[in-house]
Amino acid sequence: MPNKEKYDQVFIESFSLPADAAVAKLAYQSITEWDSVGHMGLIANLEEAFDIMMDMEDIIDFSDYKTGIETLKKYQIKI
Amino acid sequence: MEKFSLNCLELQEYQPNRYPFLMIDHVDEVMPGEYATGHKNLTLNEWYFPVHFPDGPNMPGALQLEALAQMLTVAITTLPGLKGKVTHALQHTVRFKREVLPGERLDIHTEVLSWKRGICKGKGTASVNGEVACEADMTITIPEILEEYLPKVKA
Repeated sequence: MPNKEKYDQVFIESFSLPADAAVAKLAYQSITEWDSVGHMGLIANLEEAFDIMMDMEDIIDFSDYKTGIETLKKYQIKI
Repeated sequence: MEKFSLNCLELQEYQPNRYPFLMIDHVDEVMPGEYATGHKNLTLNEWYFPVHFPDGPNMPGALQLEALAQMLTVAITTLPGLKGKVTHALQHTVRFKREVLPGERLDIHTEVLSWKRGICKGKGTASVNGEVACEADMTITIPEILEEYLPKVKA
């Protein structure tokens, strides 16, 4: 599965969104599902999907879909 | 780490709840970050028996679940640096199988399934004389730790 598809799928599954949800517009607290607990679930699912372990500062900076793409570049994951 | 036990006074160093909401009496064995096992003795003097119910006293299910969550908390707060930290419930799924009556001892066993960034997922079973009274899948958090990992919301 291409990384972009995998990345989108993590958002969809982490927040129980419809398959055609506009994930590119998502940001922390922009939907009820992306709350504090949802954030930890999202990060854990991304780490599992891409087999990485994110640093604390990257978890804090991961505030929206687009920022996340930049964050993953640090871990050699190109979306 | 090594396993150890906690009496009713010692466990309060790791569990911030107090009367009338402390639902565990003794931690028979705790392996920090892995499991905690103990019990709650129920006498007819428990504060909830006169009202739950006047003609048929039994331990409220919500308090059985609370006992499980408090024991799971001990399994986490006995980890280095977490002594006395306050935990909050995030999500519990519980199944009740029998009433717990005055004079009985509620044996409580909890296991940590995962502990990461302030969130603990675990499971627990409470039983009386080897008969399961309730089982729960639980998610608890130490907010103080969880909040360290959250994005800053722009005003």
